[in-house]
Amino acid sequence: MFVLARLLPGDPVSAMLGDRATDATVDRLTAQLGLDQSIPVQLLQFLGGAVQGRFGDSIAYHIPVTQLIADRLPATLTLTGLSMVIALVLAVPLAFVAALQADRWPDLIIRGVFQVGLSTPIFYVGLLLLTVFAAWLGLFPVGGYGDTVLEHLWHLFLPALTLAFSFAAVLMRSLRGAILSVLNAEFVDFARAKGIRQRLILFRHVLRNALIATVSLIGLNVGSLLGGAVITESVFAVPGVGRLMVDSIFARDYPVIQALTLALAVLVSLAFLLTDIVQMALDPRVGR
Amino acid sequence: MTKTSGLTRRATMALGASFAAVPALGLPGSAHAAAIAPVRGGKMIYGRYADSLFLDPVLTDANVDIWVMNNLYDTLLSPTDDGLGLQPGLATKWALSDAGKTITLTLRPDVKFANGTPMQASDVKWSLDRCRNPKNGPWPDLVASIDSVEIASPTSVVLKLKHADPSLLAALATFNTGIMPQALFEAAPGDTDEAKSKVYSLKPIGTGPFLLADWKLGVSMRLVRNPHYWKKGTDGKPLPYLDELEFQIIPDDNTRLLKLKAGELHGTEFVPFSRVKELKADTNLRMELWPSTKVNFLTFNVRPKLTDGSANPLSDVKVRQALNYAVNKDAVIAIVTQGLGIPMTSFMSKTTPLHVGKSDLYKADVAKAKKLLAESSFAKGFEVSCMTVAGNADSTNILTTVQQMWSAIGVKLKIEQLDNPTLTKRYRAGDFSMRVSGWTNDISDPNEITSYFAYFPNIASLHSGWQDKKVDGLFDASQQEVDPVKRASEYKQIQEIYADAAPILFLYETPYPVAFRKNAMGFVQIPLGNNLFEGAFLTK
Amino acid sequence: MRGRLALGFGCLLLGLMLAFAAFPDWIAPMDPLAFDYEALIAPPSAAHLLGTDQFGRDMLSRIISASRVDLQIAFFAMIGPLLIGSLIGLTVGWFGGLADVLFGRLADLVVTFPFLVLIIAIVAVLGPGLTNMYIAVACVGWVSYMRLMRGEVRVQRGQDYVAAGRVLGFSTWRIVWRHVLPNSLRPVLVYAVTDMALVLLLGSSLGYLGLGAQPPEAEWGVLIADGKNFFTTAPWISLGPGIAIVAAGLGFSLVGDGLANLLDVKR
Repeated sequence: MFVLARLLPGDPVSAMLGDRATDATVDRLTAQLGLDQSIPVQLLQFLGGAVQGRFGDSIAYHIPVTQLIADRLPATLTLTGLSMVIALVLAVPLAFVAALQADRWPDLIIRGVFQVGLSTPIFYVGLLLLTVFAAWLGLFPVGGYGDTVLEHLWHLFLPALTLAFSFAAVLMRSLRGAILSVLNAEFVDFARAKGIRQRLILFRHVLRNALIATVSLIGLNVGSLLGGAVITESVFAVPGVGRLMVDSIFARDYPVIQALTLALAVLVSLAFLLTDIVQMALDPRVGR
Repeated sequence: MTKTSGLTRRATMALGASFAAVPALGLPGSAHAAAIAPVRGGKMIYGRYADSLFLDPVLTDANVDIWVMNNLYDTLLSPTDDGLGLQPGLATKWALSDAGKTITLTLRPDVKFANGTPMQASDVKWSLDRCRNPKNGPWPDLVASIDSVEIASPTSVVLKLKHADPSLLAALATFNTGIMPQALFEAAPGDTDEAKSKVYSLKPIGTGPFLLADWKLGVSMRLVRNPHYWKKGTDGKPLPYLDELEFQIIPDDNTRLLKLKAGELHGTEFVPFSRVKELKADTNLRMELWPSTKVNFLTFNVRPKLTDGSANPLSDVKVRQALNYAVNKDAVIAIVTQGLGIPMTSFMSKTTPLHVGKSDLYKADVAKAKKLLAESSFAKGFEVSCMTVAGNADSTNILTTVQQMWSAIGVKLKIEQLDNPTLTKRYRAGDFSMRVSGWTNDISDPNEITSYFAYFPNIASLHSGWQDKKVDGLFDASQQEVDPVKRASEYKQIQEIYADAAPILFLYETPYPVAFRKNAMGFVQIPLGNNLFEGAFLTK
Repeated sequence: MRGRLALGFGCLLLGLMLAFAAFPDWIAPMDPLAFDYEALIAPPSAAHLLGTDQFGRDMLSRIISASRVDLQIAFFAMIGPLLIGSLIGLTVGWFGGLADVLFGRLADLVVTFPFLVLIIAIVAVLGPGLTNMYIAVACVGWVSYMRLMRGEVRVQRGQDYVAAGRVLGFSTWRIVWRHVLPNSLRPVLVYAVTDMALVLLLGSSLGYLGLGAQPPEAEWGVLIADGKNFFTTAPWISLGPGIAIVAAGLGFSLVGDGLANLLDVKR
């Protein structure tokens, strides 16, 4: 990403100054920022700083990158976390209904609705929700983030719902598949034959299998949720890192791009690790 | 179902008729404010499209800073609300002597910074010295004529100039000469001016009407009333009327307007022109269109050859004139600004001092355009590309319209959307044919815009490569011309030569579109763009 | 039976889109680029069934002519990753070894970046436009195909027919190309159909941000972006293209699902 960022044509200084910049001004500011050095030298400087936890100052905002990211990260984490919760709340019960009623009308309707959700671009869902629920009905605030924790959740509900749509669809589909495959598996017939009550079967086998599928999907989708946050955050004016990342790319704010890439990669890796651990705990077959 | 292509005669005439009634650009807010007695107290929430980045008047480089900084800092003089004149600021009087080479400024007594410490002549000297230091920021050129700043007495400061400078008074009313408290700035941690500034500008202290209380970068900015502010309101008590002013940052136009309509904001800037009519019809809101120095145009690259070595049609003045005549500005204005713009009459806006324009500058005339093109060295027509920033609706709309109009004279336009840094790099390197551009002045004087648009030595006339030695000479002379009549005549000649040479496609001027809830009043935006909240108030 | 119905419906939607894309000039009632200064932002009427935009262009005609660009995006943004990913997956799945480990790590690295952010960064390097978008998607999208293909190939490698082929003296090339590949391809192709829905949405998102299709070439995402500012006053400008995207996305998903059922591919 460091190299990718430097490959971006253009430079932060003249982009910022626009028409008013004379060559002398651009040269002076470029030197001040250390951007007149060669790319390998800059890379070494970045790595040297990073090892010591120093990531430099944002070129656009003139404050330490670490502070900037620390300010923005909570909004994005809350947003993705909340959208996962919403997706689970939507998808899990409906997946059970769909699986138990497989190929009957409830199943078809549920799958149809989620299919439409999956086929609608995120920015369009956001625009619709914002206009209908916030602007026309006044049920939610129009974007923003609020000041207290409760306000955060309140402000982030619509964007989280927007983000949850496609994830819920993916989740519902694979959960339904997982439940169906358990229901059709031989050991369920075996259990039935042994006379264990059907509810218990569902509870033990189905739930555990469903959970395993869910957990692995969550892990796989953290990356795409964070990516989707880019668009949701700009539609709903949420001050998160998704928007910061895109703004920084467009402003060539190298220090922010570098540090944020690192932070996101660490986050996603953590999510992978966490899902692996949970999966191992749930499924004795994994990891042996 | 008829297939329509091109401008029908009837349509053109209809457009002409509807735009004869150009919106009267009076001062929108002042009338309301004058009619209603201001109310003190309360908190106003204003939605901005982008946050400020760096609140140091000397080192900043962005409009998002410049346009709000006057709420925190004062300058010695200040521009009048119409942008054409000057009025007292931190200096109550100014006098020129020694053939314009000495300026004596009388400082306003008993001015205090927002933290309560008195402003002293030494703060003024230090601030001016800092902003004219060529190592500091992009703006020292505006005050380059100052040779020295001397403290004559505790209430007066004398500027010795290298030469007479007709624009220096305007420069003393420009944001970069804002007065800062020397002791406080120097107490900030850091070894260099830049390091100190980074700390200081996060919690800046000036003599302006407000004090920055809380700043969440990219999210919101909370300003509180400066209890020591010197300027008095209509009720005879110190301004500002508001107790608090909060800026909320909402980049998405649609979201910002929805928030305004929902009553979560009292006002917002940069209303898309496509929404102005809708907001005007909303009885809860008041649409304000402030006269501005904003000009919208396309810059041509006029160098003989393009970077790929091919011959450049735009190097031929007849081609450039033909392109100008082929565009129906009224139609562009109708489509892009929903009729809210006015055609450009010179490269500088009507609100710029010493503006001289032709009211029918390049009035649409396809026959004339065809004739000019036929006389040029590119009589057969050509293909040309124009760069613009990706995702900018107005620019794309301009180009889509112009594309259609030029096709009528055999010129094929290719639209190239790029991201801003790429685009900037390309035009700085002269690697382009055309680009969509806009400009607002920072100073109440024609010299800034002229030095960038027409004076080659600065930035090669907007990087177009256009050079006219006579214009360069006239500009050099005008920069030291103390006789206002002579200076005006120099600017008249520059504007006429520029219009004939047409290194740009002249399009239109636009006002600043700002919308407020009905109970939020007294806001002023001057043509330079500065947002004045000192007189803003909330009724009810 | 109902699965077939869904597949049929999906095919119908896609068929319609294909017809639009193949013969836009015949189906569209007007020239999609023609301005009509007398009908700027006109609501739906007999003359303009879906209304007009701020240039007075007929929205129905614009949507129909945009279908070509969108289907093109769905195809080209899918085919690149499919070819690259499958080829790598086939190779490393069959041979294993160091290459397998290396590409596995590389894939891990790619998925740690948020998909959209990576695409935006790459498009910013290369410059906006459809071709560059395809390249960007190929740089990122190959991972799914590689993993899918690799998994299938490893399963196939253990099958009896491979051992039989060896005994019969067939070359590795022939076994892989003639037998393993065709047998592994089914889930990849089924995924590809669903993927077309995803890249279509991605393409329109980039178009919405101004990084995808370039004007006057219109694409549904661009049309929605054009109508964004008129969302409350002239909803028809953005509603039509919105419905078109949903319909196309639905078409691809339904066909993908239907094929999966029909061919009995586990998803």
